Amino acid sequence: MLRRVFLKTLSRYLSAVLGSLAFPKHALSKWPEQDFAAGDFSDKFREIFADLPISDSQEIIINLPEIAENGAVVPITISSALPNIKRLYIWAEKNPTPLVAEFEFDESMMLFLTARIKMAESCPVIVIAQQGDQLLRNQKWVTVMQGGCGTG
Amino acid sequence: MSIKIRTQRFAEYTEIKLLLSHPMENGRNRDPNGQLIPAHFIRELTLELNDKTVVNANLGGSMSKDPFFTFRLKSTVTGDRLRIRWLDNHDLSDQAEHVIE
Repeated sequence: MLRRVFLKTLSRYLSAVLGSLAFPKHALSKWPEQDFAAGDFSDKFREIFADLPISDSQEIIINLPEIAENGAVVPITISSALPNIKRLYIWAEKNPTPLVAEFEFDESMMLFLTARIKMAESCPVIVIAQQGDQLLRNQKWVTVMQGGCGTG
Repeated sequence: MSIKIRTQRFAEYTEIKLLLSHPMENGRNRDPNGQLIPAHFIRELTLELNDKTVVNANLGGSMSKDPFFTFRLKSTVTGDRLRIRWLDNHDLSDQAEHVIE
């Protein structure tokens, strides 16, 4: 009897915990000041994705120059033929503000985006795509000749 | 500050190109006198198709000056209305409309 109560309580507790972990913490409605604050990449990354599992996927296609002469303007193209991708996050690992942008797409959009980003120094650019309740990651190294994030 | 919108219809999709004139200062650049230029950047960008939000973006100071974007809509018909809006960290905003041909 006690064991059954214990298991029930445990399962309720686990489902509450797992439920709360199922999605990154905020909806894309209001600008999330904390996420876009300056800070260390791995801290900022963990604040958004906690310890959610993230799988590497070559099906998130990133086009970036291998060498960027001017870090103030680095063109990026992101695309994927995978269905049901609702959200994209772009990170530049060594930038003073590592989160570059978050995008939320309606199903009437193809998963295709071009933009121009700043890069402070050579580092990977990391793209996280949210497909249903799965997180997918791809990244690409960019060598930056002249930093584009100012001197502070 | 202004918004330029261009669209082109292809067989498989309609491409949207956006050019937003904005300084996108991240607060880390200095003016010629060595003074820090305060942060001034677009935070939120929204694309609406016939009054329905189709793209919602949060941007930071790591986006380049005069942001330029390409998006692709799966399908459109002549007369579809596109509205673009942005809001920056000084609470300035702009919007523009475009009718797809």
